[in-house]
Amino acid sequence: MYKFWATFCKELLLLSRDKGGVLVLFVMPAVLVLVVSLVQNNVLEATGEGSIRVLFVDHEEGALGEKIRQGLLSSGALALVSELDGKPVTDGVARKAVSRGDFQFCILIPEGATAALHRRAGDFAERAMAGEGEQATSGAAVEEAVPLTVFFDPTVQGVFRTAVTSSLERVVQGVEAEEKARVLSASLKKSVARILAPRLSPMAVGQALGEFPDLQAAWGRESLLAVRPQVAAGEGAKAVLMPNAVQQNVPAWALFGMFFIVVPLSGNLIRERQEGTLQRLLSIPVSSGSLLAGKLLAYVAVCLVQFALMLLVGKTLLPLFGTPVLELGDQIPAVAFLALCAALAAAGYGLLIGTLVRSYEQASMFGAVSVVVAAALGGIMVPVYVMPKAMQALSILSPLGWGLEGFLEIFVRRAGFLDIIDNALSLLVFFALTLAIAWASFYRRYRGGR
Amino acid sequence: MRALMKEPKAIRLEERPRPEKKTVLEVVDLVKLYRGAAVPALNGFSVSIGEGGVLGLLGPNGAGKTTAISIMTTLLRPTSGRLTLCGVDVLKNPREARRLIGLVPQEIALYPSLSARENLRYFGRLHGRRGKALEGRIEECLEMVGLEESADRQVSTYSGGMKRRANLAAGVLHEPRILFLDEPTVGIDAQSRNLILENLGRMKERGMTLVYTTHYMEEARQLCTQVAIVDGGRVLAEGPPAELVAGADGCANLEELFLQLTGKLLRD
Repeated sequence: MYKFWATFCKELLLLSRDKGGVLVLFVMPAVLVLVVSLVQNNVLEATGEGSIRVLFVDHEEGALGEKIRQGLLSSGALALVSELDGKPVTDGVARKAVSRGDFQFCILIPEGATAALHRRAGDFAERAMAGEGEQATSGAAVEEAVPLTVFFDPTVQGVFRTAVTSSLERVVQGVEAEEKARVLSASLKKSVARILAPRLSPMAVGQALGEFPDLQAAWGRESLLAVRPQVAAGEGAKAVLMPNAVQQNVPAWALFGMFFIVVPLSGNLIRERQEGTLQRLLSIPVSSGSLLAGKLLAYVAVCLVQFALMLLVGKTLLPLFGTPVLELGDQIPAVAFLALCAALAAAGYGLLIGTLVRSYEQASMFGAVSVVVAAALGGIMVPVYVMPKAMQALSILSPLGWGLEGFLEIFVRRAGFLDIIDNALSLLVFFALTLAIAWASFYRRYRGGR
Repeated sequence: MRALMKEPKAIRLEERPRPEKKTVLEVVDLVKLYRGAAVPALNGFSVSIGEGGVLGLLGPNGAGKTTAISIMTTLLRPTSGRLTLCGVDVLKNPREARRLIGLVPQEIALYPSLSARENLRYFGRLHGRRGKALEGRIEECLEMVGLEESADRQVSTYSGGMKRRANLAAGVLHEPRILFLDEPTVGIDAQSRNLILENLGRMKERGMTLVYTTHYMEEARQLCTQVAIVDGGRVLAEGPPAELVAGADGCANLEELFLQLTGKLLRD
């Protein structure tokens, strides 16, 4: 035990002297958690909660443009910009600004749009009242749909294009419904007058029409069905937290940082081989188990400190930048246990690489790249459910994926110990396997004689 | 290359009575064939040394000196042969044997980012030492190698000579019965070399048995009670340096004898 502690303390001392290693282990994941959470927090806002700045060019300045403007502003999804440098934005200026990337979108209301909308709506209503039914929509005499153009920056990703066009379509549907209600009301009066004219005197018809109520155009805007997004939870399940960038990113990048322990750990093993200290250690009457356990547990302890630090970043630092606070839930022992399993898996992988590869360069390159690949597969960067099927199948091989799934179970789904036992066991089996291979390789090469 | 060499006449002075006391190290017929190698690194290697003796292993590059030291210090297992240390069968009880040995490897086997004191403290703890006894012994060792002033500086900031001296201190910290040194004075200034040799001389006087490899013949002549000239994985000559030289035809010193036995062809 005394020799184990001696090695444990020595490893921590060595790590504390390795400035680069400390940066990789503590600063890098903290920066990743901070930056990625803030960036993704903004992405979530951009795709629903916040606002994207959009150029709004209204050539007509009529009722339609105004209704669309008001509709977009009231939705809160977009911020409209109609002037640049104090001047109204023209078509040409808007196109240039978007193509340069100064703005990602521009909505263009063409001249005469209001009148065209009225004509088209009236035409439809007339035909509908005349009983022409569906054929009316394909009739040649009907005016074409009023074009509302949306220019977008070619670098804009699909999800944002969809967000902006969806917002516009939502507003346009409201405007259309309102217009249809208005013209339907007028057409209805005309039809009633036409029906009553042969039967009643003109005076009586006028009286009847006077009493006939006008349809309130605003009813067209009112929703009849309400879509309510809600996080799914099983019957009797605990309250489920609304997912956000912090809940996803803090455990994800904390795991990524923990697995980066492979670089200093494997490097440490290789340096011991290259500098001859391993030779000295092997000539001392101490068991390889004590040496290995001391080394391994020192790095596991570092991983756990690292993980706790990342949680602290999520709890205290990120909210200072306007993100939601990381919610740990009430299953702290389950969090600690899963973190321990992940730390063991990371340290086991570091030992394996340090034992198998020949040089520090190989270890740092292979170790870092393999962790990045495992992170990508495990859903650290992009959620697994949006990956192609083949990649989703591969993702089950990633220890980072096992860990992340477990943490999300606890943090978001409010799961308990039993719900994460599969994830924890997978990590422990991975640790046992890596340790066994590392031990066999070490023993074959050193203790058993070459 | 070996085919071009004149087959040397083996010189053995073992039958003469030795001044040393009971045998501490006895190596008999060691053979070591590395995996994939066509020629064995050791091929019937045999040496022995008594308590308080200093055995110098002399040989050109690739002669098998480091392989022999590695086997004697339990770092390698031989393909065949016998090896006892103070009566302990090294191959059967390597852990027991490790309690008896100290090693000063060819590389500076210390953690460069730790200070000399921290290195010694760690290796001392692994040897089971602790508390004031350990700290006292560390002070003694640092003083012995002239590093007491710079004991708390990181080893990476040391000169080559200082590193070699710290390496020696780590090898003797636990007061081993037998100390193995693999070229302990290579690449250092005359002052550090002199200090190391003085220390080795003192250890010898105190009864510690030393086995060391070197390319410096003068060093071997001064220090060793016995030398073994090694080449091709076997011992070509073994005995006290003066007697070996006296017994060889036309050799005025150890270097001439060495060249006569191992040839003048360059070794890579």
